[in-house]
Amino acid sequence: MSAVIHAARGGLGGRRLQAVIIGLVALAATAASTLALGMLVDSHSPFDHAFAAQHGAHVTAAVDTSVATSAQLAATTRLPGVTASAGPFATVSVTAKVSQPGIPGTRPYPLQIVGRPSAGGPVDQLTLDSGHWARGNGQIVLSRDVAGDLGSATITVGSQKLTVVGIANSVTNTAQAWVAPSEAALLGGSGRGQAQMLYRFANAGTSSAIAADIAAVRAALPHGALQDTASYLSVRQSEQSDIAPWVPFIIAFGVIALVISVFIVVNVVSGAVIAGTTRIGVLKSIGFTPAQVVASYVLLVAVPALVGCVAGAVCGNLLAIPLLKQNAQVYEVGVLGIPYWVDVAVPLAVLALTAAGAVPPALRAGRMSAVQAIATGRAPRPRHGYLAHRMLARLTSAPRAVTLGLAAPAARPARTLVTAAAIVFGAAAVTFGVGLAHSLDKAFAETSTASSLPVQVSAPPPAPPAGAPSSKGGGKVGRMGMTAAQQRTVISALAAQPGTRRYLPETDEDLSLPGLGDHVSVTAYGADPSWSGLALITGRWYSTSSNAPEVVVNTLFLTDTGTSVGSTYTVNSGGHRTTVRIVGEVFQPGNDVDIYMSPATLAAVDPGAGIQSYAVALQPGTNAQAYANALSAALGNSYSVETHSRGGTELVAVVTLIAMLTILIMIVAGLGVLNTVALQIRERAHDIGVFKAIGMTPRQTLTMIVCSVGLVGLVAGIVAVPAGVYLHHGVIPTMAHAANSGIPPSLLSVYTPWTIILLALSGLVIAVVGALGPAAWAARTRTAFALRAE
Amino acid sequence: MNALVQLENVTKRYDSGVAPAVADVSLAVGPGEAVAIMGPSGSGKSTLLNLIAGMDRPTSGTVRVGDQRVEKLSETGVARFRRRQVGMIFQFFNLLDDMTVLDNVLLPAQLAGLRSGAARKRAEELLVTLRIAHRRDAYPARLSGGERQRVAIARALVNRPAVLLADEPTGAVDSATGEEIGALLLELNSSGQTLIMVTHNAELADRYTHRVIELADGRVASDLAARP
Repeated sequence: MSAVIHAARGGLGGRRLQAVIIGLVALAATAASTLALGMLVDSHSPFDHAFAAQHGAHVTAAVDTSVATSAQLAATTRLPGVTASAGPFATVSVTAKVSQPGIPGTRPYPLQIVGRPSAGGPVDQLTLDSGHWARGNGQIVLSRDVAGDLGSATITVGSQKLTVVGIANSVTNTAQAWVAPSEAALLGGSGRGQAQMLYRFANAGTSSAIAADIAAVRAALPHGALQDTASYLSVRQSEQSDIAPWVPFIIAFGVIALVISVFIVVNVVSGAVIAGTTRIGVLKSIGFTPAQVVASYVLLVAVPALVGCVAGAVCGNLLAIPLLKQNAQVYEVGVLGIPYWVDVAVPLAVLALTAAGAVPPALRAGRMSAVQAIATGRAPRPRHGYLAHRMLARLTSAPRAVTLGLAAPAARPARTLVTAAAIVFGAAAVTFGVGLAHSLDKAFAETSTASSLPVQVSAPPPAPPAGAPSSKGGGKVGRMGMTAAQQRTVISALAAQPGTRRYLPETDEDLSLPGLGDHVSVTAYGADPSWSGLALITGRWYSTSSNAPEVVVNTLFLTDTGTSVGSTYTVNSGGHRTTVRIVGEVFQPGNDVDIYMSPATLAAVDPGAGIQSYAVALQPGTNAQAYANALSAALGNSYSVETHSRGGTELVAVVTLIAMLTILIMIVAGLGVLNTVALQIRERAHDIGVFKAIGMTPRQTLTMIVCSVGLVGLVAGIVAVPAGVYLHHGVIPTMAHAANSGIPPSLLSVYTPWTIILLALSGLVIAVVGALGPAAWAARTRTAFALRAE
Repeated sequence: MNALVQLENVTKRYDSGVAPAVADVSLAVGPGEAVAIMGPSGSGKSTLLNLIAGMDRPTSGTVRVGDQRVEKLSETGVARFRRRQVGMIFQFFNLLDDMTVLDNVLLPAQLAGLRSGAARKRAEELLVTLRIAHRRDAYPARLSGGERQRVAIARALVNRPAVLLADEPTGAVDSATGEEIGALLLELNSSGQTLIMVTHNAELADRYTHRVIELADGRVASDLAARP
């Protein structure tokens, strides 16, 4: 065994470049795979673990207890497929008055409160973060989210003052706060009763299964009893969606890096064994058995690969730290790390892959006789490419150095194919990365009004008259509108201000709508809403002149309500109801439900809503900040004039990450080319010496070697563009889906003809850059030295 | 004599701790001369030839071929010099296996940027002169040793070099073929081609060259006219 180790160690000492390339390739493959797999695992597991631990509700149902009786509700718990249930728990929607320490006055805060006797139960076993459960009237337990928002506030509902006695968490966010059932009865008063039922089902793995489960419950209850339902899948998707949109492209890059690494490892390893064939012959001639020869050569590859794998795992963990930190914040699970099994499995897999690449050629060499191995190693002549040389020699219009280079790939077709495949993946990553960056730039532009309406003018709300009654009925949280006088002042200033193109009166409200979670963002534009610059996925903008109320909503609204463009929906908030028609789907990804409607429609839901600000579009060439400064001077201190820039920091961070990953993959692909060219030069060193001896200049040598991979790179680049575009067209919708959104067609239309032409050249660039190092070395090598090479 | 090849105090040392491969050699070869360089293994014969061809650089001294100081040329300059001034013949032929006979012969002319038609005409002429025109489309692996060396000679001559450098041109062929190659070289020399040939074969040197330079330990041991 020591002889084998000595032989391997000696071999390593004599092949440092080869060892370095094997190590680097193993490092890149391990780092990329560790990062991708770790991200993938961590993006799914925290929610699932928490859901399992809490025995979370597959479906949370809001039922109208004035329609369904207790017996009918109890009957639903015995339906086939229902494995566990809890409820009915009385539910009340209120607008609480919140008083926070250090802040004068109170503010309204919508709360959905559920009356539960305890945190435990067969379903939705709440995690009590602090304090205790509500033991009687006057006590309230806040959800983690609400507690974070309110801090140690004093909460008053109607005349009931509630003391916060605990903070709890439901993995599926079944309520914002909980009280004892008797307190819920007090808060609910004599109005229509609503209750919450929590179900777990035997078959709940998919949306369609959940839909079938809900349909069964609905069918078991009287018509109209089941008001709203929430699936844990929606909650999970929502919980994951902050980080989830970035996961598909990180995985795509990781997979590309891994596949390239596989190609390169195969090339490096087989080349290493071929290059070491003479040595194998010498080892056999001094008494090494075939098994010892194979072992020593597998070791020769495995040692640098092992070093690379370990370093790669460390790099992968380091790269994952900032990404997983964000992930941990999303799931509120403290610290997330790459799972240990990923840290072990990935390096082992890469190592096994490397060894698998080394064994077949080593076995072949091990079977050779000593004399045959020495002869083969001294003159590893390719058996292919004669025809290519012959044909290209006739191509007299091209310099001979070029045609010599162009014929070279035919000498080792398998190696050429593997190299081409590595370049295809590298260039596809470039195409994908460029398209991704453009799409994200568009996405940031089309989800923000900052580009089209860069200036916003607002006024502080007028002080409420002394002794005015507080808003009652709840369901909305909104800023006070401008007074008519303030509006006239602003309009007048906008009309007088040079650079004003047009302006949109804007009202933003947060409504609390049953079944749609906490805060539903409603925006009403008082003029043509298309001026906002927000992109539509399908449909059209609402008509401000239409008598029938119309709204435009984001994808999450459609998903959560089970509606589609063309459907009608009844907006029920704060005791006001209006039925609207959904006429468009706006591109607004994220966890928030967004509704856009005309001021008239909003007035039907929230009669008190008024214009809060004016969003201003500027004439081309107008500097937004200078305009804002001038307008602010004209309006005086009573008005606020702000400029908006579209999400710069986040976009820059993501584009930087994309650029880093793209460059990393280009480097890996370039490393593959470097390896191929280095092998080619090593094998053809003597021929290069002959070329030089008969008058080939260093420039011609460089040209010949670069051309030997240049054509491969060019073809690979051309092949890679459609592959990259295909990947882009697959990943962008997946990212949008992870962010709870569809995509507008414009997000995919990012490749112009010129971009495609330039991207097609990326394969050539990878090939040329990868080849330049060894080519320059070969060009500099003295003729006599090259001629002595065997 | 107006020397075509002139070496003055040329020394080539590969490692500082060991004796030089070529030590303080001075010699001159005139146009049309046929010179044999002889000596035991390791005496510096091939190194000397490499220095004349610009394939290696002297540690000190000057190498002049025609009006060019070879040791002063850049790598590109020396490559251009080799194209025009020097033809090389090697013991093991050094033909390119993946090219046909014709393509091997054409290659130096193509690298030199000679017009395609002219290069082809010259190559075809040489193949006829060297009696291997019938093998023009064959690959080197299918040729005999003598045929391969004739192809190598044709390749060396295609750019009409001022001097033909032959490193053991008969070392890898049987004696009959060696005779044939020797005769061919003599014939070329008779037509005015300057020839410098490294050889172990004293008889070949005597029969086919005019002058024999003996090297020993990298130094010129003798420089005599060949025995008639």
